[in-house]
Amino acid sequence: MINRRDFIKLSALGLGIFLLPDGFKILKAKEVRGLKPALWANITKDNYLILLVNKSEMGQGVYTGLAMVVADELDFPWERVRVKPAPASEIYKDPKMGMQLTGGSTSLRNMHEFLRLLGASMREMLIVVASKEWQVPKDRLIAKGGYVTDGKRRASYGELWQKTMNVPVPSNPKLKDPSEFIYIGKGVPRIDTEEKVEGKAVFGIDVRLKDMLYAVVERPPSFGSKLKAYDDSQTKKVEGVVAVFPISTGVAVCAKSFYSALKGRERLKVEWTKSPLEGFDDQKLEEYYLNMLKKQGVVARREGNPRRELERAKKKVRAIYLLPYLYHATMEPMACVADVKEDRCVVYAPTQAQTWALKTAKEITGLPEERIEIITTYLGGGFGRKANVEFIREALEISKRLKKPVKLIYTREDDVKSGYYRPMNATLLEGALDEKGRVVALYHKIAVAPIGATQGIEDTLYKIPNLHVEFVRVDLPIPVWFWRSVGHSHNAFTLETFIDRLAKEGKRDPVDLRLELLRNNERAKKVIEVVAEKAGWGKKPKKGEAMGLAYHFSFGSHVAQVAEVSLDKKTGKVRVHRVVCAIDLGPMVIHPDLVVAQMESAINMGLSAALKEAVRFSNGGPSSLNFDTYPLLTMEEAPEVEVYIVKGEGPMGGVGEPGLPPIAPAVANALFWGYGIEINRLPMSPEYVRSLL
Amino acid sequence: MIELFVNGKRYRVSAPEDAPLLWVIREELGLTGTKFGCGKGICGACTVLVDDTPTRSCITPLGSVKGKRIITIEGIPSNHPIKRAWKELDVPQCGYCQPGQIVEAYALLRRNPKATKEEIISVMSSHLCRCGTYQRVLKAIQRAQRLMGVKT
Repeated sequence: MINRRDFIKLSALGLGIFLLPDGFKILKAKEVRGLKPALWANITKDNYLILLVNKSEMGQGVYTGLAMVVADELDFPWERVRVKPAPASEIYKDPKMGMQLTGGSTSLRNMHEFLRLLGASMREMLIVVASKEWQVPKDRLIAKGGYVTDGKRRASYGELWQKTMNVPVPSNPKLKDPSEFIYIGKGVPRIDTEEKVEGKAVFGIDVRLKDMLYAVVERPPSFGSKLKAYDDSQTKKVEGVVAVFPISTGVAVCAKSFYSALKGRERLKVEWTKSPLEGFDDQKLEEYYLNMLKKQGVVARREGNPRRELERAKKKVRAIYLLPYLYHATMEPMACVADVKEDRCVVYAPTQAQTWALKTAKEITGLPEERIEIITTYLGGGFGRKANVEFIREALEISKRLKKPVKLIYTREDDVKSGYYRPMNATLLEGALDEKGRVVALYHKIAVAPIGATQGIEDTLYKIPNLHVEFVRVDLPIPVWFWRSVGHSHNAFTLETFIDRLAKEGKRDPVDLRLELLRNNERAKKVIEVVAEKAGWGKKPKKGEAMGLAYHFSFGSHVAQVAEVSLDKKTGKVRVHRVVCAIDLGPMVIHPDLVVAQMESAINMGLSAALKEAVRFSNGGPSSLNFDTYPLLTMEEAPEVEVYIVKGEGPMGGVGEPGLPPIAPAVANALFWGYGIEINRLPMSPEYVRSLL
Repeated sequence: MIELFVNGKRYRVSAPEDAPLLWVIREELGLTGTKFGCGKGICGACTVLVDDTPTRSCITPLGSVKGKRIITIEGIPSNHPIKRAWKELDVPQCGYCQPGQIVEAYALLRRNPKATKEEIISVMSSHLCRCGTYQRVLKAIQRAQRLMGVKT
């Protein structure tokens, strides 16, 4: 339940929803003082529902998920629902976050109650209008499928809508009983499919304005380097190039076409200051992180006395892991159109963070908020990367200088060079077992940059009597950022592979050991039991030669996965044939097929990282600058995926991220049991895996 | 001026011969369904058909396609089985790589309507999708084969 004191506005109707500590109160706009009119929903005369959505569509299906909740309560035909991105504004902030931001697998979790209430209020008000118009008691009217009827007469919602403005807002609109849902729990066709299949969906990179120029920025090859000098004499000779000037992150080349800008940049000569990371390559980074792991950190969680238990125990396991920087690789690289004028500013951006984009535009232009418009386009992938607004800042800087609309595009190489990676980390794990193979102590220490550093470890659901979680903060000038599932992406790997090593040392089945460690958590146990049963745990794999399981709780959802794997011992190539996945995201599953799609998506992305991905470094900068050196998973490497949704009790969990953390450890665990190899580094490239055989 | 035939229409463009076809299609013709992904012909987001052959437009100089027939995502009819199948299965997630994938699949089924699962996977593995729609792309192509009445 939303319990922060906050306002949300629905003012097509002049409706405001006043969020109170104990629930909601709906007021008419004029009763809510100090609020500017704004729009959440409107029904056109020809009976289309137009919804403004305050979350970014980056593939996760949020436009569909949010809109279907309203349409269900309103009882409105899905094919007549249209969504538009809400502009950046105070009004559209997620009330639980206090920001307009899409992240943390929270969109439906945070918004569904409000949106149900919105739909239900609209429906009640339409009934009141019809009741007055037809002089029929309200209880004789039915509002269904976009029409209100008394059995004899019938009017579309659109015909009645305007008159709802004069009707009191229901103080306590009646929500549907789940048995009455027409879409929730069943699903609807995705609202964005049509445009995306026809090539008509507009992403940030697709926006075109009149008299728009194109820009590309030359960036330093190493992190921390600054601009020292540049020579643009050859650049300016390139046809179409209009301007070359320095901005905060490099040198901007602006031209009448993007290919002219690129050609101009090729001829630019730039000198950079020495990088503080000069000489840093893969090997030096590894040494640096392993060394950091020896330092004392801060204790994130402590139970019992793990050191004493580790000293006492007869059975012990120890491992040191080293996991790489990862690149988001959104298929649409960073791209933004900015139009900065003297008295106004418009930004079109594929952004996850409207609130930060607006703040940045205010800083750069000095304009007041009401003169700035942030328009969110479709995002060609986000995965956290597009919650960073540096690319928007750059576009604003360039447009401000040119006094013209400009489209900034990152090439793939620019995108990698801009950084903001999933942090690299080194992790030490030590565990102690008693004579029955029970885990009595766990010592978990990680050296990493402060982005979700101990997520999924300090809050592990495993019951371990002596537990130590320690974090050594790394502060290299390599920009890091949120990467789908954040700290869980590495911490689930280290913890879940280590659990299997403990199981082996204690002569325990890894499923039994997990069920024992989770003995007080029915939901966690259930997803493991379901996935084990569906995968045929303990039997020969259907495909492949070895099976591994992993479980992780993140973003409010429990996920367990079993991977069926085979390994070509000659080449070292790992193949994942089939993945069985069970997720428990709570009792209310709004769109089951979107959940399945997000599990497929997270499994493919997690597997891509596990098998293939690492940002490689030379001389303080990335050396893997495109998909030839930073390869992604392809169709021939993608496993068959089976998804089972388990409905447990509790609050709604997230969907976009929780499917990712378990896949890498599930694969490594299969290699561990099937081939006896311990994966302490990622990716599981053929060279690395072969070196372990 | 260079003459281009795109989706059955004739265009005259003033871009230089060495300009990549991708940017000319997107910026001068305003057909933004064809996407930029890597600039090196690796990811497949920029795939168009040049005289029926799937071609990476980001590394194709404008001068090399003079007088040739170009088809982009916008030029494939909405009711074509490939697009219908894609919609039925809600294949796209972010949707960015999908035009390239659809163009590639369209060409594949024209060339080889009876393509086996292995042949489909082999051809489509030249396209990258970060959202991981691979499982659904495969199903959609097989669905399109059935819509076309192909017995595989």
